[in-house]
Amino acid sequence: MAAEIPRLRRYARALLGDGGEADDLMQDTLERALARLDQWRDGETPRKWLFSILHNLHIDGLRRRSRRPPHVGLDNLGVEQSAPATDGASGRDLDRALQLLSVEQRRVVLLVGLEGLSYAETAEVLDIPVGTVMSRLARGRGRLRALMDYEGGGDRSSRASLRRVK
Amino acid sequence: MSAERKITETELHALVDGELVADERTAIELLLAGAPAEQALVRDIRDLNEAMRVRYADRLEQPLPERTRKLLARVPRWPSTLATRQAVLAALILVAVTAGLAGYLVRGVMPFPARTEPAFVANAIGAHSVYVPEVRHAVEVKAAEEHLIRWLTRRVGAPIHAPSLVAQGWKLMGGRLVPDQGLPAAQFMYEDATGRRLTLYVRKETGLNNTSFRFAERDGFGAFYWVDRPLAYALSGRLGREDLMRLADVVYAELEALGAAKTPGPPAKTP
Repeated sequence: MAAEIPRLRRYARALLGDGGEADDLMQDTLERALARLDQWRDGETPRKWLFSILHNLHIDGLRRRSRRPPHVGLDNLGVEQSAPATDGASGRDLDRALQLLSVEQRRVVLLVGLEGLSYAETAEVLDIPVGTVMSRLARGRGRLRALMDYEGGGDRSSRASLRRVK
Repeated sequence: MSAERKITETELHALVDGELVADERTAIELLLAGAPAEQALVRDIRDLNEAMRVRYADRLEQPLPERTRKLLARVPRWPSTLATRQAVLAALILVAVTAGLAGYLVRGVMPFPARTEPAFVANAIGAHSVYVPEVRHAVEVKAAEEHLIRWLTRRVGAPIHAPSLVAQGWKLMGGRLVPDQGLPAAQFMYEDATGRRLTLYVRKETGLNNTSFRFAERDGFGAFYWVDRPLAYALSGRLGREDLMRLADVVYAELEALGAAKTPGPPAKTP
């Protein structure tokens, strides 16, 4: 379980930005997990279990604050314009692009793409059908590609043709 | 490749994410060879994943906050440093071996996670994963064809039934014959309104004793299985354990009502 904590933190930070909020969420997740060790089901991986707890805590937190305006997290990312990176994928651009996704899409893109969870695990963690995971993933990644201007980078010819197909 | 079969965007994501079974993967890769636009999307998805990993790699290395380390330290079973973790791992193995022995002596009193499931369960889950992605050939004989049950009963060699799960929102699509270590087994497939699928696997069972509901998980698929001689059952799906358990309850009750299940009472649930 301890081995999973840095991953939880990586995910929380990618989800929420590098502010204290992410570390709070990691801390709360660990606390709740420890309080509920007895409820940990046989055969369930600690990773899936911990991510589920983190997700539920995050949702609860969002519900509690739902009357406040949505927190976008850009203030944690630094707002100065970074020079256009040659690879079109500088870290800050990626942070910003991720924060511009809906939180639902961001969760799926990060759990699958960054944390390497399977679609089934992601569906269980987020308590949504696998089909929803797949559609959010496609939409979220599509949006990221556009935001990151991937179509303009690297192999220009084939990427331009893909844009036309879309 | 010709344009007779378009690759869907979903398939491209599934390819990158390692979600395709070997056959699908080969098929998509073949189609991809002649589809530069799709190749570019695949490259972009991989680039995105790589960019995220690179960007957030250092979050794995940064020292945890003091309060988190304190919390971790409070739980001696889950220490945070590698050296102690290895020591504890060794201790845990010893505990597991002892517990296994104790569990063997006190059969069923202690929950013992390292239970191995009978071979038919792996076969049931395997058959589930093979046929569930099928669009046009998900079943061999459709539910509407009245010989479905007759045929499978004859081949499996014991009276079998396909319980109705309509009240739970699952429609019987039909069934097929599946080989199970050289013997015929039956698979019924159900689908819900969102396209999720569930299979009930049934085969003749003479070797194993009757068992209560048990849960197995493999490759992201869950299955509840039980033996009610002369038949063994496994209900598989990508559902949460609770949902699957509820459905297994219904299946059992239905089978009992249909007279397929013989006298023993409903199996005790092992949580």
